[in-house]
Amino acid sequence: MVFSSVLFLFRFLPIFMICYFLAPGRMKNFILFLGSLFFYAWGEPIYVVLMLFSTVVDYVNGRLIERCRGSRKAVLPLIASVVINLGLLGFFKYADFLIQTVNTLAGTALPLLELGLPIGISFYTFQTMSYTIDVYRGEAKVQKNILDFGVYVAMFPQLIAGPIVKYREVEERLHNRHMDVVAISHGLKRFCMGMAKKVLLANNLGALWTEISVQNYQSMSMMTAWLGMLAFAFQIYFDFSGYSDMAIGLGEILGFHFPENFNYPYISASITEFWRRWHISLGSWFREYVYIPLGGNRKGLPRQLFNILIVWMLTGIWHGAGWNFLLWGLWFACLLVLEKMFLGRVLSWFPRVVGILYTCAAVLIGWVLFELATLGDILSYLRAMVGTSGFLDANAFYLGREYLVLLVIGAVASTPIPKKLAIRLERSKTGLCMAIFRLGEKIIPAALLLLCIAGIVDDSYNPFLYFRF
Amino acid sequence: MKEKSNAFFTIAFLSSIIFIFTIVDFFHGDRVFSETENRVLATKPKFSVQELFFGNYTSDYEKYVTDQFVGRDKWIYIKTETDILLQKKTINGVYLGAGNYLIEQHLPQDYPAELEDGKLVLLERLVTEWDATVMLVPTADNVITDKLPSYAPYYDETALLERVAEMAGERCVDVYSILKEHSSEDIYYRTDHHWTSLGVYYGYQAWAETVGEEPYPYDVEGMVTVSEDFLGTLHSKINIDRAGDRLQYFPETTVHQPHITYDQMKESESYYEESYLETKNKYGFFLDDNHALVEIDTGYQNGKTLFVLKDSYANSLIPLLAPHYEKIYVVDLRYFNGRLFGLMEQYEPKKGMDVLVLYNCIHFLEEFNYLP
Repeated sequence: MVFSSVLFLFRFLPIFMICYFLAPGRMKNFILFLGSLFFYAWGEPIYVVLMLFSTVVDYVNGRLIERCRGSRKAVLPLIASVVINLGLLGFFKYADFLIQTVNTLAGTALPLLELGLPIGISFYTFQTMSYTIDVYRGEAKVQKNILDFGVYVAMFPQLIAGPIVKYREVEERLHNRHMDVVAISHGLKRFCMGMAKKVLLANNLGALWTEISVQNYQSMSMMTAWLGMLAFAFQIYFDFSGYSDMAIGLGEILGFHFPENFNYPYISASITEFWRRWHISLGSWFREYVYIPLGGNRKGLPRQLFNILIVWMLTGIWHGAGWNFLLWGLWFACLLVLEKMFLGRVLSWFPRVVGILYTCAAVLIGWVLFELATLGDILSYLRAMVGTSGFLDANAFYLGREYLVLLVIGAVASTPIPKKLAIRLERSKTGLCMAIFRLGEKIIPAALLLLCIAGIVDDSYNPFLYFRF
Repeated sequence: MKEKSNAFFTIAFLSSIIFIFTIVDFFHGDRVFSETENRVLATKPKFSVQELFFGNYTSDYEKYVTDQFVGRDKWIYIKTETDILLQKKTINGVYLGAGNYLIEQHLPQDYPAELEDGKLVLLERLVTEWDATVMLVPTADNVITDKLPSYAPYYDETALLERVAEMAGERCVDVYSILKEHSSEDIYYRTDHHWTSLGVYYGYQAWAETVGEEPYPYDVEGMVTVSEDFLGTLHSKINIDRAGDRLQYFPETTVHQPHITYDQMKESESYYEESYLETKNKYGFFLDDNHALVEIDTGYQNGKTLFVLKDSYANSLIPLLAPHYEKIYVVDLRYFNGRLFGLMEQYEPKKGMDVLVLYNCIHFLEEFNYLP
């Protein structure tokens, strides 16, 4: 089930919320667990078993680690946890990719497995690994209640698209949370704003990229090519961060406090900064469980550069089983290495806007690698971006005019300006500003929610024109 | 305390949107048919374990909930109006043109040269073996181009028309030039993708000139209006408030009463079916909408026969051809599965009848297909 659907908004959400808030203290986790299973099973009635399996395995591993605490045997359940989780992920996500690669390299014809990717598997396997690793390191207490642990893994707000919540970040709230009207109202507003990002911005700007992506790259003008990548950049950012906002908002309504996942990445002045602002929960996961254990920056520059290379190759391949994702990760690894070596210092000589332009260009080029699956497409698109088929054409004019307003809204919405404006209004304390703020904080999310409903319903608008001819 | 009551108010306000629509939707009965979308809406799927695990129960259920959501048409209207507010000029593949024209979008990349090649091969056989006359009508975007939003892309049909002219020679009717000449007149509907009876009139003039017939003196001033509120297919695609189009016909076409047989079953004594004027599909007024096979006795006695292969653009033109033929056979290839040449020989074994291929350029590329 996805959040931006009639089914979620007007069936699942109201019924679940009534049950959840009517349930007494200890029952809330039970309701949340059941609701989450239903939410997941709706789209994956078979793979829900896989998620439960992963839950039980890591619950048991956590207990075993605790039991062996102090002895060397404690590492065995940790290894088991990592192997099983990575095994699941590898089997369902990467097996076909590996088979294809082997087939290409060795000229064999091994059959593909053609398994569907279980929704959210990349997220929940990372979450449960964070649990066992933290328990092993003594940074999190073992969870003895399997229901509470099940809630952590299956919790529907972040189950299918993150943020990747580490166990110790919600440990306390799993069995000790209370209703707080301020948090709930905040969560509701956050949910509406996230929904608007997804339905109003990501979907509509995505339509621009869809229009451009089907055109012939060989004869595409430079402006069209950049316009296309800009549209895709907005689409993926508003889609992903909108989903995170909805998850964080729902979490707040339920009494949790999830970590932030995006912090206006497109105003970054370097790639180093970009990765501190983009998909923060994934970045911090790799940092904590891969980069630092490999030695981070403590073992000399060459080792640090190597570690960066490893982490960003993994980050790339995490996003999808394809060579282009690996390439995407490598692209950033190279830029990060260059920034560490000298580029960062060079950039600091210039005003911030230079850094922002450099970062935007680098990120947009990165999105070409991310979005286009074949090397041929990537190369011809990049060629169009440097202007081998002309600078400007009527098509770029038309699309630019058609989407100008949305692009401007998207650009403003990816900066902290709207938020700063709201904070300034709230803090100014004069009667009028306060009144505007109080009114705006209710009317704007409500209006956006209504527009989202219109967008969601319109998505299924399907006039049948049997009298077309 | 003040903060808490404000928060409480926010919660009440926002969640009431969800809850009110949920409750209203819950008690709101299901509709079978959507007039605006002109289709049967999804119904509640039957639950079974089999369907749940191995079928499409969940996605069918989602379709059902979305199709039946309360105020569906209103939501779609809001979405379209928002798009217009955001200065969009293309909605659901329809250009919002100048002068209140809705113009169907045909993108160049959707009609590659290979597609043209294949259709031309099929067409050439009809021209060489049956001496067919070819009449391809350009679509609105190619004729009233000045009404398109600025820089709007469109598939340029002139190259196709030139190839056809080259192949068919004097058997090719040049509709493009005459329509272009009259492009400032109402030759296309504002809310529908068809040509109007005025456009048809000019098409008829071009046909008569090409085949060397004396054109019947139809009077443009004397056209009879049967509807003032025709909202056509393009309007259905975007569903916003628009003034209806005027639907007209030439009264001269009713001077001789025809005898028409549709699909060898339904019989009629008129080219025009008034019952369609009460429905959304008002263009169906002409020749009873679409049929695989229409056999017409025009009431004119000159012993001549015409065999037409066509799309719906022909429906409004065929009545004008009546004075030139005693019998007119009309085949819509989309509904005809047999061998075409066999059928044609059945009607005219000596290959003596006139054959006319009449499509608009887009339908020609998308729909013209047959087994010889």
